[in-house]
Amino acid sequence: MSAPQIPNLNTLRRGGGGSRGRLRGRGGGPQTGNQDQVVQGTDNDAGVSRLSAVRLGYLDDPYAPVLTQPGAETRRLPIINRGTYVRTTVIDTLIRRFLDGMPATSRKQVISLGAGTDTRIFRLLSSASHPPVQNLVYHEIDFAVNTAAKIKFIRASPLLQRALGADVAISAAGDALHSPAYHIHPLDLRSLKKGGKKEGEGVPDGDATTSAPALREVDPTLPTLVISECCLVYLAPGDAADVVGYLTETLFGGSGEAPPSPLGLILYEPIRPDDAFGRTMVSNLATRGIQLPTLHKYATLEAQRRRLQEHGFYGGQAAADVDFLWERWVDEAEKERVAGLEMLDEMEEWRLLARHYCVAWGWREGTTGGQTTDAFDGWRDMEGQKDG
Amino acid sequence: MSDLDRAIAQLRACRLIPETQVRELCYKARELLIEEGNVVCVDAPVTICGDIHGQFHDLMELFRVGGDVPDTNYLFMGDFVDRGFYSLESFLLLLCLKVRYPDRITLIRGNHESRQITTVYGFYDECIRKYGSANVWRYCCEVFDYLALGAVVLGASSELEPSGPSPMVNNATQSTMAMENGGLETEVLNSRGEVTMNTYRGRQRSSSDPNPPSLRAPGTGASGNGAASTASRTGAILCVHGGLSPLIDTVDKIRLIDRKQEVPHEGAMCDLLWSDPDEIDGWGLSPRGAGFLFGGDIVKQFNYKNDLSLVARAHQLVMEGYKEMFDGGIVTVWSAPNYCYRCGNVAAILELGEDTSAGGTVARSNGDYARSNGLTGNKAGVRSPGRRYRVFEAAAQDTRGMPAKKPVADYFL
Repeated sequence: MSAPQIPNLNTLRRGGGGSRGRLRGRGGGPQTGNQDQVVQGTDNDAGVSRLSAVRLGYLDDPYAPVLTQPGAETRRLPIINRGTYVRTTVIDTLIRRFLDGMPATSRKQVISLGAGTDTRIFRLLSSASHPPVQNLVYHEIDFAVNTAAKIKFIRASPLLQRALGADVAISAAGDALHSPAYHIHPLDLRSLKKGGKKEGEGVPDGDATTSAPALREVDPTLPTLVISECCLVYLAPGDAADVVGYLTETLFGGSGEAPPSPLGLILYEPIRPDDAFGRTMVSNLATRGIQLPTLHKYATLEAQRRRLQEHGFYGGQAAADVDFLWERWVDEAEKERVAGLEMLDEMEEWRLLARHYCVAWGWREGTTGGQTTDAFDGWRDMEGQKDG
Repeated sequence: MSDLDRAIAQLRACRLIPETQVRELCYKARELLIEEGNVVCVDAPVTICGDIHGQFHDLMELFRVGGDVPDTNYLFMGDFVDRGFYSLESFLLLLCLKVRYPDRITLIRGNHESRQITTVYGFYDECIRKYGSANVWRYCCEVFDYLALGAVVLGASSELEPSGPSPMVNNATQSTMAMENGGLETEVLNSRGEVTMNTYRGRQRSSSDPNPPSLRAPGTGASGNGAASTASRTGAILCVHGGLSPLIDTVDKIRLIDRKQEVPHEGAMCDLLWSDPDEIDGWGLSPRGAGFLFGGDIVKQFNYKNDLSLVARAHQLVMEGYKEMFDGGIVTVWSAPNYCYRCGNVAAILELGEDTSAGGTVARSNGDYARSNGLTGNKAGVRSPGRRYRVFEAAAQDTRGMPAKKPVADYFL
């Protein structure tokens, strides 16, 4: 019954080099040389998704509009908005649990890797919905291109400046910012190597441009939460392990008499690259020049938990995909509110997408101020997914 | 070459037709559709297709795999627009074909053929982008309001003529046994026309069956007497986009709906376009926020009461392209491969053959059969149709003569 006069498009592929042809069609397309630029560009994509979710009422975030590229605003599809909602609220919950688990008077620290234009610090410092967090030191690390862009936004926005308060110092190059509670460090994460020198001792590779002051004010004795929200996945597996190893062993590994401080890690990453959806995701992102080098290494929830274990987060390791987190972490009333914002036309598509992203979290106990504390006690009853 | 044929040729090349022509086309289509009932009657043979969602190049692949219009008789179960980047080209082509060959193509309404949904899921934006105003979107939405809500396929054969070379994956034991027991019931073919799976109907008939399969060679016309054709005949097949409704217990009740309106948020019309079958008992709330979930018992009762052998529906992404549930009482057909350029799924179309055993006559019962003659005792004789699924993959988009623009799917980055 087939119609021979209709050409089979699949047999007409140009020389079999599908991806090459595609790139040519896009006017050159990204090359390996500007891989970093492509990764830096992913922040804008995430920012647009965040603003879309905010505009439609999924998230309450007054800082989203002023931290998104002007003119880039686009309404995302409902499944993307819901995914952005789950990702944001779940990480918020874990951070809140960490912050609220300790007395307001004791100092604590958050380090956000590849933070880009993330609005989280401004939300934490504002008094809109929660009492503003006391005694928090918040660090963001990203490429200088991205930190400079963020600092430009801050300079242009009284709203952001009000949240930060007085006493803000910006570097001459405009890519580093320091204030009592908030630091922006322009740094290529790949320069952080396990066994490399600590903050204040000079650079791991002796590279003067990313010298130690870049991580100044990071206090290796404080209970610290590290966040990688779609960040480490862009690094080569060795580099990604080095970054975490640098944090767990070199920076927060204790020194001499001082035992290691309490440390937690939250990862938000794609998973399951080997099924039909996953393969399509990998190839679609590749045509945009986006590589996910660690995706195959940490392809499952189990692999993510093992990764946390191997990095010494012996206090606990857990992971769950976004589908599970939507089902189990979002209460019924909130689910109803969110589901009422936009109608999801295709549940199976949502589940497919949501099962390909996960949040993994792990922690270790440690000593701070001479006392052993379990700063991550609040994470113990956060439900992870048992299998997968 | 008429204007219509020119428009068809142009749209087949994925080039849009002028706005004035769209207006005229939509006017003609409405004139045509207004004459159709809520439930269109379609005679087998027919090829049933699920969601298209603006994936124009995949629609071309569908026609390549399933045959061209008018050579093949098509029934599309809605969701022509939204999500994909070529909703206009896809829908306008289907509409042109409908106007040109009204008896060879049937279009029924999906939940995306709605003003409200198209403003969220892309078709509205596409119209603005490609025509510079909302006029074309408005013309199309007026056509949506006139699309039928369902179709009933009559005269489908219970057994398939073998289609080609033997299965690549041969479940040998089953085939040999089945050959003795009954005819070919289900066959799955890939896009090259190679059989990848088949199943044969097991011996299920009672000893009182007057026509053992060996005596019922299709095409002989031997089973022309009333009793025989009753016992072996295939029940009608109801096609809807979504599924059943707690407000609809007979096909006739679908006929009573005033359909010429925007898809409502609730009620029978909404349910037909939004509901999903699920592994539950009875009815359940739909996570989509519209329509209901319905279980196998509901399907069984509905099919029995309406003398149907199968409900064919679309609406839900199925990675394998099609999915039968509830002992084959309902099937989901999904015709958008690699949905949204992201999901990695294959697509399928369902071919139902023509029953030639009754000399080509079709009992125009379409659901009223049992009630009209009271022969409820014969219901055991209603057999499911032979089903041939053609499974196909997404078309390459970067081929000669096709737009090279690669659609970008969203991910979390």
